[in-house]
Amino acid sequence: MPETAEMVNPLREGIRLRRTPDPCSMVIFGASGDLTERKLIPALFYLSRERMLPPGFSVVGCARTPKTDEQFSQAMSAGVKKFLHLTAESDAFVQGFAKGLHYVADDFSTPEAYQKLKDTLDHLDQEHGTAGNRLFYLATPPSFFPVIVGLLGAAGLAKPKDPGKTWTRIILEKPFGRSLESARELNQTVTSVFEEDQVYRIDHYLGKETVQNLLVFRFANGIFEPFWNRRYIDHVQISVAEELGVENRGAYYEEAGLLRDMIQNHVLQLLSLVAMEPPATFEATAVRDEKAKVMRALRPIHLERVAEFVVRGQYVEGFVGGKKVPAYRTEPKVSPASNTETYAAFKFFIDNWRWADVPFYLRSGKRLPKRVSEISIQFRRVPHLLFRGAGAEGIEPNILSIRIQPNEGISLKFCAKLPGTTMQIRPVEMEFLYGESFGAAPPTAYETLLLDCMLGDATLFNRADAVDLSWELVDPILERWKQDGPQGLAPYAAGSWGPQEADDFIERDGRQWRRL
Amino acid sequence: MGGTLQEFALGEPRPANVGEIEAGLSAMWRSAAEASGAESAVTRASALTLLVYVDREEAAREVNNLIAEVTRQNPCRAVVMVMDPQGAPPGLMASVSAHCHMPVEGERQICSEQITLNARGATGPELISVVLPLTVSGLPIYLWWRAESFAMPAYFEQILRVTQHVIVDSARFAATGADLRALAAWLEKYSGRIRLSDLNWARTTPWREVMAQCFDSPDRRPYLHRIRELRIEYEMESARLNTQRAQSLLLAAWLATRLGWEFQRAEPRGENMPRGFYFQSGGGEVRVERVLRKMEGGGSGVCFSFVIEADGARFSFSRGPDGKVVQTRAEAPGLPPIGRTVRIEAGDEVEILNDELMLSGRDHVYEEALALVARMTRY
Repeated sequence: MPETAEMVNPLREGIRLRRTPDPCSMVIFGASGDLTERKLIPALFYLSRERMLPPGFSVVGCARTPKTDEQFSQAMSAGVKKFLHLTAESDAFVQGFAKGLHYVADDFSTPEAYQKLKDTLDHLDQEHGTAGNRLFYLATPPSFFPVIVGLLGAAGLAKPKDPGKTWTRIILEKPFGRSLESARELNQTVTSVFEEDQVYRIDHYLGKETVQNLLVFRFANGIFEPFWNRRYIDHVQISVAEELGVENRGAYYEEAGLLRDMIQNHVLQLLSLVAMEPPATFEATAVRDEKAKVMRALRPIHLERVAEFVVRGQYVEGFVGGKKVPAYRTEPKVSPASNTETYAAFKFFIDNWRWADVPFYLRSGKRLPKRVSEISIQFRRVPHLLFRGAGAEGIEPNILSIRIQPNEGISLKFCAKLPGTTMQIRPVEMEFLYGESFGAAPPTAYETLLLDCMLGDATLFNRADAVDLSWELVDPILERWKQDGPQGLAPYAAGSWGPQEADDFIERDGRQWRRL
Repeated sequence: MGGTLQEFALGEPRPANVGEIEAGLSAMWRSAAEASGAESAVTRASALTLLVYVDREEAAREVNNLIAEVTRQNPCRAVVMVMDPQGAPPGLMASVSAHCHMPVEGERQICSEQITLNARGATGPELISVVLPLTVSGLPIYLWWRAESFAMPAYFEQILRVTQHVIVDSARFAATGADLRALAAWLEKYSGRIRLSDLNWARTTPWREVMAQCFDSPDRRPYLHRIRELRIEYEMESARLNTQRAQSLLLAAWLATRLGWEFQRAEPRGENMPRGFYFQSGGGEVRVERVLRKMEGGGSGVCFSFVIEADGARFSFSRGPDGKVVQTRAEAPGLPPIGRTVRIEAGDEVEILNDELMLSGRDHVYEEALALVARMTRY
């Protein structure tokens, strides 16, 4: 047998259900931020403890705050214990993991910092056998993206160290731009330095187990796909509700608003997964091609018709979970005259053969009664009703609902006869819950997505054209709202299911929002 | 996870009769539904038929508890066959029961049913004739062979004709070498038709994974083909001896089959001493040494430590005293040493069985390792 480094590891054969990436280092820009401490490092710790990361795997945290490797390791270890609720039993794992954490303190808007980073990475390649494979994670505010990307390129860090043998990838956190123009500009900057196949635009919603299961549900079962079209489906609802307000992100939210924060990315991504055609293979290009086709087929909402298809709202004082909560306009770092939307409801149409005339209702909001994300497919009523009279009042259309959070699972509502001598019909639910059926908690979205990126699987990441298309849809709406100012911004009490205008909006079509 | 567990049983064991067993099950479901009240309906769930073979009545009681836990994740109809050829008076008795996972408020109660058949004396063929009609139509059939030896009577052929998956646990085998050889011979006959799983092999999955990861680095991978010595240490503590003896054989055979080593010879048997083995690899002779050691702690009972010596490089994998952690260290000339600490804890019997019930497809790697173990232990 030849003794070359390229030969396949023969011990890997037959070890089931596991994928382990190549030895690599991960560089996190924005290492002193909340995302790093709460999400990224705990996800990496979990992957490491469960043997899903390669030996020698190293993290390099990059930020301006002066810290030593040891201080960074200590802070991250404390975060891991806190956010994963670990007991002292896990100390050995945490200590082992912390040995792979490193820190570079510098001003990452200067070229010198990147030389220092390069030296650190070269040293890790030598000391930890990370083999030149590098993953850069931009967990900074988006305004820093162009500078970091440009300087990575200038320092020679964007290209694979040993082309053909090693890889270099970059993960960009959302929001990817704040308008069509800025997204294109950013994309141009990124792709002038990195090739498109090196760029992973993360949307953590796509890493959720139920979102992935949506593809399995649709394309691994023979019984659903024949009904997945305009002939059987009356309409689709996608709801992403949050109990929380803007918390300490008032300044960010004033700039972003709900449309940029949720709809342009998460909600449109969910829509494209529900509506896409079956891809030829479960590979990144095929899946992302089909998703992009849906985005292209979404009927644009023209500037002058925005009010017909969109409702926007902003929460005022109210009660959530038994506690009084303030109005959006009195939240810290929010303008008292703010016109930023915290709720939006949409009606979209997809102009293709499968979905012609089937409305897709989307809604999302902050300070709603509870945190819940769900896709519900509402089927048409039966063409002729056999059962009449009082007993038939309970007949409701079938609804297939796909719960993304919390309690990830799928349920189907159908009608059944109540036991007895009379014909009484009542809707019942058949439910599949991940937690109950498999008895194991699914991995978190960041665990799934970080591992996918290290493995070079871009299926669950956004491609530039899809980002572009989503901004094309959203831009006219933003423009119209800007022109309208406060006009049309409907207030709703915190803790309610959004403004009355949103209920009126769907009821005009003879439909109702599903009770969540 | 579900809530607490509730058990329902209907009457005392009665002479086995398929019609009466089915009637007994129906009566039991009615009483379970009544007991649950109007608020939460009872859902009778089944995703498979699980046939369980045990060779002692005490083992049947253990299995009863295990099945209750298995049904949380894999709702099924379980048919437990308790064989006692020496038992008296001869006869075949049946009893039915249900394992219900009590829901938290507002959720449904999910129940799985169990039929226990006690076969005393030479009643094996009668037993099979009762078991076959009790399998659930259209669902896969799993046979869990939970016995201290692997000697499947000829009348099991009827069951094997409809079974998709046989599960054994080589940790239970009293005569490790002889039972693994019997298993290998059985597999040769049924390979391709029936999937074979060994829970003891599944316990080694984390070890195999950690060892494989150590050689993912291109710098260290070439050492795989320069291995000269493999040292496997396992515990002399009697409760875990069978588990680890079988694991040590299977893991040595795993490395040998993956790396293309040719088996040469075994060291002569020593009294109470594990034997060493010699293989020929592309790079020369490889010695596999198995060492019995007294070890601190125990954890879940998964093995030992491994040390691989390869042309000046050394790769070691040592289990921590609590059995939940493994420390690995890779040292190779010209390369910095790499160490790490990861979780190695294997699940308990229920967890491993649940995993196996969800897998499909043959495990060629295990089958090849088992065939080699049969050769290694032949003399």
